[in-house]
Amino acid sequence: MPSPASRSPPLLLLVPFLLLLLFSAASAWKKDEFRNCNQTPFCKRARGRKAHSVPSLSTADISISDGAVVARLLPSQPLRQATDGDDPESDTVPPRPLLLRISVYQGGVLRLHIDEDASAPRRRFQVPDVLLPDLDDRRLWLSRLSSPAAGSSSFYLAEGFEAVLVHDPFQIQVRRKGSGEPVLSFNSHGLFDFEQLRAKKNDDEDWEERFRGHTDTRPHGPQSISFDISFHGADFVYGIPEHASTSLALRPTSGPGVEFSEPYRLFNLDVFEYLDDSPFGLYGSIPFMLSHGARSSSGFFWLNAAEMQIDVLGPGWDDPAAPAKDRIDTVWMSEAGVVDAFFFVGHEPKDVLRQYTGITGTPAMPQEFAVAYHQCRWNYRDEEDVAAVDAGFDEHDIPYDVLWLDIEHTDGKRYFTWDRVLFPNPQEMQGKLAAKGRHMVTIVDPHIKRDDSFYIHKEASERGYYVKDASGKDFDGWCWPGSSSYLDVLNPEIREWWAEKFSFENYVGSTPSLYIWNDMNEPSVFNGPEISMPRDAIHFGDVEHRELHNAYGYYFHMATSNGLLKRGNGKDRPFVLSRAFFAGSQRYGAVWTGDNTADWDHLRASVPMILTLGLTGMTFSGADVGGFFGNPEPELLVRWYQLGAYYPFFRAHAHQDTKRREPWLFGERNTALIREAVHVRYSLLPYYYTLFREASVSGIPVMRPLWLEFPADKETYNNGEAFMVGPSLLVQGIYEERQKSVSVYLPAGQSWYNLRNGVSYAGGVSHKLEVSEDSIPTFQRAGTIIPRKDRFRRSSTQMVNDPYTLVIALNGSFAAEGELYVDDGKTYDFEQGAYIHRRFIFADLKLTSVNIHPANLGGKFPSDCVIERIVLLGLPSGAKKAVIEPGNREANVELGPLTLRGGSSPDAITVRKPNVHIADDWTLRIL
Amino acid sequence: MGACLRISLTISCLLLIWISASASIPSRESLGIAPQDLSYYKSDVIKCKDGSKKFTKEQLNDEFCDCPDGTDEPGTSACPQGKFYCPNVGHIPLTTFSSRVNDGICDCCDGSDEYNGNVSCPNTCWEAGKVAREKLQKKIATFQNGVTIRKQEVEKAKQAFAKDEAELSKLRSEEKILKELVQKLKEQKERIEKAEEEERKKREEEERRLKEAERKANESKNAPEESSHDITDQAPEKLSELHNQDAMEDHHDSAVEDKNDYTTGTEISDNQVANDHDDTIAKSGHEADGRSDGSSFSHVEKQHVVEAQDNAVSKANTDYPGTEEELSSHVAEQGQVSDSTEGLSREELGRLVASRWTRENAAEGNDEVNMAKEGLEHDEDIREENHDGYISDSDEDHKFEDDDLEDDQDAEFGEDHEEPTGAYSSDEDDKTDYSDLTVSGSSSWLDKIQQTVNNVLQAFNFFRRPVNISEAATVRKEYDDFSSELSKIQSRISRLNEKLKYDFGKDREFYSFYDRCFESKQNKYTYKVCPFKKASQVEGHSSTQLGHWDKFDESYRVMLFSNGDRCWNGPDRSLKVRLRCGLKNELVDIDEPSRCEYVAILSTPALCLEEKIKELQQKLEDMNTGQPSAHDEL
Repeated sequence: MPSPASRSPPLLLLVPFLLLLLFSAASAWKKDEFRNCNQTPFCKRARGRKAHSVPSLSTADISISDGAVVARLLPSQPLRQATDGDDPESDTVPPRPLLLRISVYQGGVLRLHIDEDASAPRRRFQVPDVLLPDLDDRRLWLSRLSSPAAGSSSFYLAEGFEAVLVHDPFQIQVRRKGSGEPVLSFNSHGLFDFEQLRAKKNDDEDWEERFRGHTDTRPHGPQSISFDISFHGADFVYGIPEHASTSLALRPTSGPGVEFSEPYRLFNLDVFEYLDDSPFGLYGSIPFMLSHGARSSSGFFWLNAAEMQIDVLGPGWDDPAAPAKDRIDTVWMSEAGVVDAFFFVGHEPKDVLRQYTGITGTPAMPQEFAVAYHQCRWNYRDEEDVAAVDAGFDEHDIPYDVLWLDIEHTDGKRYFTWDRVLFPNPQEMQGKLAAKGRHMVTIVDPHIKRDDSFYIHKEASERGYYVKDASGKDFDGWCWPGSSSYLDVLNPEIREWWAEKFSFENYVGSTPSLYIWNDMNEPSVFNGPEISMPRDAIHFGDVEHRELHNAYGYYFHMATSNGLLKRGNGKDRPFVLSRAFFAGSQRYGAVWTGDNTADWDHLRASVPMILTLGLTGMTFSGADVGGFFGNPEPELLVRWYQLGAYYPFFRAHAHQDTKRREPWLFGERNTALIREAVHVRYSLLPYYYTLFREASVSGIPVMRPLWLEFPADKETYNNGEAFMVGPSLLVQGIYEERQKSVSVYLPAGQSWYNLRNGVSYAGGVSHKLEVSEDSIPTFQRAGTIIPRKDRFRRSSTQMVNDPYTLVIALNGSFAAEGELYVDDGKTYDFEQGAYIHRRFIFADLKLTSVNIHPANLGGKFPSDCVIERIVLLGLPSGAKKAVIEPGNREANVELGPLTLRGGSSPDAITVRKPNVHIADDWTLRIL
Repeated sequence: MGACLRISLTISCLLLIWISASASIPSRESLGIAPQDLSYYKSDVIKCKDGSKKFTKEQLNDEFCDCPDGTDEPGTSACPQGKFYCPNVGHIPLTTFSSRVNDGICDCCDGSDEYNGNVSCPNTCWEAGKVAREKLQKKIATFQNGVTIRKQEVEKAKQAFAKDEAELSKLRSEEKILKELVQKLKEQKERIEKAEEEERKKREEEERRLKEAERKANESKNAPEESSHDITDQAPEKLSELHNQDAMEDHHDSAVEDKNDYTTGTEISDNQVANDHDDTIAKSGHEADGRSDGSSFSHVEKQHVVEAQDNAVSKANTDYPGTEEELSSHVAEQGQVSDSTEGLSREELGRLVASRWTRENAAEGNDEVNMAKEGLEHDEDIREENHDGYISDSDEDHKFEDDDLEDDQDAEFGEDHEEPTGAYSSDEDDKTDYSDLTVSGSSSWLDKIQQTVNNVLQAFNFFRRPVNISEAATVRKEYDDFSSELSKIQSRISRLNEKLKYDFGKDREFYSFYDRCFESKQNKYTYKVCPFKKASQVEGHSSTQLGHWDKFDESYRVMLFSNGDRCWNGPDRSLKVRLRCGLKNELVDIDEPSRCEYVAILSTPALCLEEKIKELQQKLEDMNTGQPSAHDEL
């Protein structure tokens, strides 16, 4: 029973000081605690440059080597001009050539690599283990360069696209073959700058940086890189999470008419009470940007884990008199590392996503339970509390699949241990949940309590597995347990060691139904600069923390996920939720948007944030339902459940100081509304699981911006209020208190069926709809088929054998299509073909189930599941019956309810009990 | 061989279970339907209960949901809003959600919810029912005994209430008489003072005259002689003593109420010391038999305690004068300036940042703010108790004076010896104080007083000069004594008034709770619940207020305490005490399900209601009648 009761003799004189702490804790985001661009020397320098002000580089010795284009980049002028007056550091750089290498991969991916030559005093860091290991196998072997014009070389990129290397000044352009229309360009504004490593010359030269009492020794001096990227034919750019924003498209951060703004910052930080709209960097970083316009979709990814700042320049930034149309210029700045950048071009935006996940990996296929509803709180206090919450869900017939335990379950924040008073029988507790098909998640963070009697710390310190500080000692920082050290997860050996800690033998009290949550892995260091690790801390291979900071959480997530994989002998799909992330994190589990707040604006911002994560590979993501900080009004909580039920990752969570908010604590009416919202998710689980399968194969996210499905509809390009779940379902959030009506834009080209009443709406129009408290507006796109399971259970586990419902929304030509993917929901047997994959096609009054499981794969997943109901929207009345082949069986057709809810009217044409097996081929004719 | 035998045994067991399970499954038409509902399903065409549709008998339990409200599928999982009835013969029938039907988990003890063969559920109703019946029987027994105790309690409460009312009316008449007497004494005293004053003036005049004469004489002769100084000085001295006492009380009040101005007493700035003092006082208070010396000692000492705590607060307040909001904004401003964390050690910084999430103090073990808050709290308490202008001698410390109370309590509530140690009387009203007035036999003491006063008044001879000093002192002493007794009576009256305005339940069954506290120890905390007063969480020397008495709720099944100490950025602490029937008044469980919102269970005979027994007996009867004879052998 935590209570801030007194324990020791007081120091009354400290009262004012402590009051000060108290009140400063009460105020929100601490802007001053974090660096802005002006306080960040590399950013300030780079941002101060004007177009073409950087001494240009020219390309020399261009050739093809090993199937790639290689060249040297030399300064056009022998010495830098002293024009960079404000920049004393850079005017003494000795000119050394940079090495350039351009390679091309299958599917239209261009990779640009620029690094210093071998004479550099130190090897610059290249982020390992992010790109897929088989990437090299997919490299295209370039064999020749052509010279379309003097001073440039071009080469093949993909069908319809080529790349052009402009020699002097150095520039790269990706363009359409034939028309020569540019798509992406690098350094077309001459902002490329590469601070080469150099020896510290004079003792008086101070390379150190200071920020709020923290000193960064910066032993290797300035080494930043910056350049400009232009997206041609773009109306908007998207991506580069994680920032809190109510806008889906990235707003310009500089240029005419742009109010003063910081650049978008990519620096993984634990930000207390973050704002709902800010370019400020949050918990994770993915340096991947997409552009979209009516004519073109493209993407750019910079594999670099150092602090990055990105400016999106408003039209006219370079020349206010002649603002560029159809082009968005961006400036990318990083503190360290090399240029290892990827250019993606596609005919439509989904191509760009496929290309990006083609190099960083597609999202892992989650276990089915993980796609269901999660119940979390900091903290479920003890075993009785866990049992009571579990029983509460049963008592109120609200399904849930996972109960979470936050840091208080441990013995003094020593992860892998249990508080023996509060949780004396953890295995029994998990067993009780597992008996109802439910799972548990416990938290394991990367900070290790510096306590010699703690076996993890003992081993880690004896083996030298901790990150070192600038002086070479184990880095000692403050986090939940107090004085803590941090595992050096950059080292594969340490990751292996860490993974072993998750075995049932090592993690005492764990059972096969227990999964893991990685929090604080930015890493969060309470007494570190910007609440994180000093940049001059040293990792494996003499890598500085500044060079890999943004990937630290990624490696930790990876190690934990591999631990669960090992634990299950490679058979059980891991589930690990992480707060920090980097490009490629999608291969290791889910993420969430961190410590949000229980207010309407945070509810609104959750949608652009999750959509952005989905666009950059992290499809398995969600926001804390209800808001982490603060107490939501019941109406906000209900609206959050109604929206959160459509997040790919659906979890309610709350700060320990908030009032309890299990779904049944707000009166019968609100309990019913939340139950309904959770039921909606459970009934759509077959659809979601099918979408997760699609994501794991193609990288196309589960939750999608409208323009991903309707790339030609300009109205959708910056819609961050509504979203698609897969290709078939449109969801509009309600973000205001007591909202009575909402304007919903339904994309053009299709009509739409309101899923509450079956009413059809025209596409390409904004509809003003009345809003009730019952639900948020959802629409099924005409021409699609959604598989559902309308029987409700305690958890997803009990739904395995339940029959399906198909909801068929017919388009103008009375046709529709949809898919269903089913496997065991748990193992990797699907990789050997143990799954069912069907396409349902409705045309000419005939529904056909087609097998799309590739025959050559073999394998089979047995299922006796049948379809118990088929609902047809948009079918003219007059249908009498249905005839099923094979067998020439008949089924009744009648009017039935669209959803099985009390009070819903029977106005949808329903095929009653066709009872066809989902595993079989069949046709069903409507007569 | 052995294995074979075991297997065949298992098979036959399973077979048995299967038979018994399948035997208990009703036909499709009645599956999952409660007996009282069977008639609804009799006709060939049946209406959905929500009126949305009709369905045929063939559609009943045909694994397809026709009525969204579940009318047509009481026995299957087809309708999400359906309800399934399991007869649970031998135990209590259960109506559960359709979502439990054939989900692979045994929910009904008769196994009737799992009939599709995926899982076999043994019939456990008889065993479970036996346990449940025994439990229910025990409960009934508790209620039956509880009802008896409750009746006694109600009777005692009735008497106690009558007694209190009688006492109140008696006190009122006594107050009236005493007031008159005090008035008389006051007049007498004033007259004496006046006489003394006159006498003094006269003497001064005389002295002046004498001195004048002497001076004159001295001018010729120089041998001055001391006059009888001793006598003349004594009276004024006494007077000033009295004044001093008044001043002290005044000062005391102002110290409490006007803490901003209070600046002395800095030497006792350590709360630990203050608390230790408290302890000493409690002990000494306890040991002291009478009230006179001991209590005045403790009175003064306690004053110091308050001052010390006060002082801490006033320090904070002098630094940041103004209301709490002003204070916070002030501090916030300061925070802007000194938000720079550069002056902090690395550990302090770590704690400071961690505290944003935990809302706890940044430094380990420094709960100073809380202590200061406690100071405030004490302060408030005192102010509250001061509302009748009388500083009560009763303090929390006296709560533990069990000896004292038992005399009291024994007389009024004879059964208190049986109470568990967790419950004890609170003794906030100064009954003990007052008892020395009442024990002597109430009818006669007023007479005696009147007698005494008259004697005093008569004994004093105004016409005797000089004023008889010992007689004047007697008048003064009598005046002081009686006015103090008057204020004690007034205080007692106001306390009784205070008490009697509470709602003590339908039968005043909670009357005895007024003077009681219930205690429960959980881990390092001791929880004290004092109905009609307050509830607190005590750890060592520090105490956190969980709430002040608010009211009964849910028709006397819940006691609410609200407006307790403030939580860090959270709500004010509050406590909800759920009452349930038990033979003893006992705080059995306390919990903090939500931050700073506490919940406790108090078992008490007061909740053992007679009407409930019938209900429970009916339930037991239902369970017994459902018992199948075949199961007796099991």
